[in-house]
Amino acid sequence: MTEKITFTVDGKTLEGKQGQLLIEACEDSGIHIPRFCWHKRLDPVGMCRMCLVEIETPRGKALVPSCTTQVTDELIVETESNTVKKAQEGVLEFLLINHPLDCPICDKAGECPLQDQTMAYGPGESRFIEEKRHFEKPIPISDIVLLDRERCILCARCTRFSDEISGDPLIEFIQRGNKTQVNTFPDEPFKSYFSGNTVQICPVGALTATSYRFKARPWDLKKVSSTCNCCSLGCSVELNVSQNKMLRILGEDNEFTNQGWLSDKGRYNFEYLHSDNRLTNIKLKDNNSFVDANISEATEKLKNKIEELHNPDIKFLIGANSTNEEYFVINKFANLMNRNEFLSKDKSNVYFADDNMFSGYFGENHQNASFEDLDSSDVIVVWSEDIKDNIPVLFLRIKKAVKNGVKLVVLGHTNSSLESLADLYLGQDVISNNFELKTNLGNIKEFQNIIENKKVTIIVGKSTPLQQKKYLDNLVDHIQKYSQAKFLNCFTKANTFGALQHIDQIKGLNEFCNEYEESNKNIVFTIGANPVNASFFGSKIENILKKADFVVSLDIFINATTELADLILPTTSFGEKEGTVTNMEMRVLKQNKILPGPGSALSEWEYLTMISKSLDKEIKYENVDEINKALCDEYENNEELPSFENLNKPSNLFGMKNRKNIDINIKDLEKNDLSILMVKRLYGDSSTQINSPSISMLGSERFIELNSKTLEKFGISSKTANLIQDQHSIFVNIKINNLLPDNIVLAPINRRGFKNLDPTKDFDIREATNMKELSVN
Amino acid sequence: MTWENARIDKAKEIIEMYPQKRSALGPLLYLAQDKDGYISDDSIVEISRLIGITEVQVQSVASFYSMYKQEPTGKYLLSVCKSISCEISNSSNVIQKVKEFTNLSNNETDDEGLFTYESVECIGACGGAPAIQVNYETVEGLTPEKAVDLCKWLKEEQPKVVVADELQLKFGGTKSFDWAIEDNTGSSSPVPGFQTYEMQEEI
Ligand code: SF4
Ligand code: FES
Ligand code: FES
Repeated sequence: MTEKITFTVDGKTLEGKQGQLLIEACEDSGIHIPRFCWHKRLDPVGMCRMCLVEIETPRGKALVPSCTTQVTDELIVETESNTVKKAQEGVLEFLLINHPLDCPICDKAGECPLQDQTMAYGPGESRFIEEKRHFEKPIPISDIVLLDRERCILCARCTRFSDEISGDPLIEFIQRGNKTQVNTFPDEPFKSYFSGNTVQICPVGALTATSYRFKARPWDLKKVSSTCNCCSLGCSVELNVSQNKMLRILGEDNEFTNQGWLSDKGRYNFEYLHSDNRLTNIKLKDNNSFVDANISEATEKLKNKIEELHNPDIKFLIGANSTNEEYFVINKFANLMNRNEFLSKDKSNVYFADDNMFSGYFGENHQNASFEDLDSSDVIVVWSEDIKDNIPVLFLRIKKAVKNGVKLVVLGHTNSSLESLADLYLGQDVISNNFELKTNLGNIKEFQNIIENKKVTIIVGKSTPLQQKKYLDNLVDHIQKYSQAKFLNCFTKANTFGALQHIDQIKGLNEFCNEYEESNKNIVFTIGANPVNASFFGSKIENILKKADFVVSLDIFINATTELADLILPTTSFGEKEGTVTNMEMRVLKQNKILPGPGSALSEWEYLTMISKSLDKEIKYENVDEINKALCDEYENNEELPSFENLNKPSNLFGMKNRKNIDINIKDLEKNDLSILMVKRLYGDSSTQINSPSISMLGSERFIELNSKTLEKFGISSKTANLIQDQHSIFVNIKINNLLPDNIVLAPINRRGFKNLDPTKDFDIREATNMKELSVN
Repeated sequence: MTWENARIDKAKEIIEMYPQKRSALGPLLYLAQDKDGYISDDSIVEISRLIGITEVQVQSVASFYSMYKQEPTGKYLLSVCKSISCEISNSSNVIQKVKEFTNLSNNETDDEGLFTYESVECIGACGGAPAIQVNYETVEGLTPEKAVDLCKWLKEEQPKVVVADELQLKFGGTKSFDWAIEDNTGSSSPVPGFQTYEMQEEI
């Protein structure tokens, strides 16, 4: 396959690889052939004929589509001959027969391949005087995507994407010939976690996004590359801003991470930046209500409080959305504030807000995998939280690997969405309701056959905070014993790995609750963390924050956690700050700033340095570059330092892999029987999402999943019911999922109404009378 | 579930015959058409569940082929050829007469649900042009008058089964040549091919 060959294009001799598509081989050598349907991440279809070139064949010259023709040794190609030009004109003339000339009101105008290529290769004049075909325009095909069928040129990019890449083919060609249109089935909307990608790759304005419609012209946009902060995959994105408003996020093709794709959450979760609910002023609590304050009042207040409380216990609850630079400063600051300062190491006062965090597999015995390894390994083994909902683009990478022949083994019970791709799915026969392995894996022949003596990439993490780590160890040890294993620790939240790298020692929310001593004087900092909402420990933490002597929150919204604070410091968010982030392969990528922060919002590190100054402690950084330099000094391997300077070099735009020692001090929860399996769905009620109108409704459906046998036990026949536990009753849609074990229900912890449920207590499901099925979003 | 059990059993039987479930799509669409005389949205949902592809994928195939009807057809589907051989043998007159008699234009069905009219591309009877099909049973060597006679006869007799040979004898003219396997079973509805005749008896 990789044999080098030479071929001639327009008289120039070029090098290519045997079997490569002509269009791609030309592209690699800098020769651009116009195209509509060909996309390097999709299988070629030869649908549009825009890429016609002339090649020499034994029977003379022939026009062939370069996107379906492979280069061969000594092939002679003409891309600019008169015949080719005539063909291109013809193709464009045909494409324009039915394409409306509504460019002045089309979102795509200015960056439209059809517009651009018509200018560059078109006939210049139309001979068409007949009526064009008409469709209602535009029709919504989902809550976030609109379809204008008149504009569609039938390139099949959207249909191929949804079929080949995301695996939810809900958009297809209907009819035939000149009646062909792209559409969804009635009442079956384009409900995909990845639908936004089709908007990005549609070569015309047929697919548009509700959030961007009529908002801007491409030439008015300011653009910068950055890294998405929605999960720990670290997708490369381009931020598009006009008049200081974020208007759009596009996927960038980073070979190592997202390969051009984004989840719809990553793509559309930005409108919150400009929400009226955004915190713009410092707030001090005064008799249970917040009043605006300035920074000196705030630091003064905090300083007085610390003095007044006499050496209080200061703890930090941190979230996953800070940059490495911010974590670096948080770490310094937390150390200064730690009254156990310089005491033994497990006295860390920094607690990370992720229920499923555990000590993970790091260090010498566990080789960290890259996403590339997914493609090059023989087997992928997954036992973790739901990948599709928590790291959506990793789902795409796994799907791609499987498509190319890599075997997949999935262990239950959270990754049902991977089951259809899996060669082996281990469900309740092997795994108990408490996520314990019931049998020795060696006894499972099929499993053994798949993994033995193979290159295995293990994606491993806790599926529920109640899972005991020893069962993950069993899996890991077993595979390490029989095969070559590499690891992706499945911590799903944004810059978790940045926090791990830059905080000396991290503890979990359980440790926070246990180590909190009421008899002490307590100050709690919450930094971009909202553990009161959507956490297993939510109500415990809520109680603690209510009782604590002083709570300082650094955040962007008033939410369930920050409303309990005595002082809120408004911070900058995605796109408003510069820094680096680390993804789950330990690849460090750059986040860039393109927006000013709202009101008097500052970066987390700015507040912390100011506070430390007011306390006469020494954390002195003038700007984020200085922090980045300081942070780089602490890497042992100084060959691939993730400094701004390095990461801004075009050759390093893909990021750099480097690691620091990681210390996670988290113990298992007490063993307990699980009856409600709480999972996080992609869309929920996070403050960022509910403040982004285009996607705010997507997380509104309340549902439970259970297998049909369990459902039968409750004697429910309708599609809705009430889920009841103690005094809580939630009206839910019922979904059958026969991959779940008996006697367990799965519920979304990040949807309204579920957070008060206790996963370890019994529940009841009762028929809901006179209720229609809840509207599904 | 909108399909009767017998139809679902039949469907499962068909699916069994293919190594990949989705390959059964074509025949299953005939099964659907046999039920309602066209491919209804309900049937599309049913098929998508049976073979595990999405509804829109089923619809995509169903709407691609013109012999899968997207709207209910009448008892007799009249397909008059409009392609080149027939055209030079005066098919436009045949078309005109049939249209006049039935008072239908292309792809329309009359109110009683008796006739559906369509003009189609070459039906492979060029040697006997002009040609017409009644429920896909071919009659060749028509004249405009004979075509009207044929329609009248259908209207009056309303035969349960139409058989090509019989129609040819009554209304046809020159036949191209006898190229097909002799098949006198005829057809009982505008659902072509696939065992539907027996199907109907079964269900
Ligand atoms: S909607 Fe866009 S992407 Fe889809 S087929 Fe039409 S032109 Fe191509
Ligand atoms: S790009 Fe080759 S046919 Fe469309
Ligand atoms: S042209 Fe009419 S049958 Fe061929």
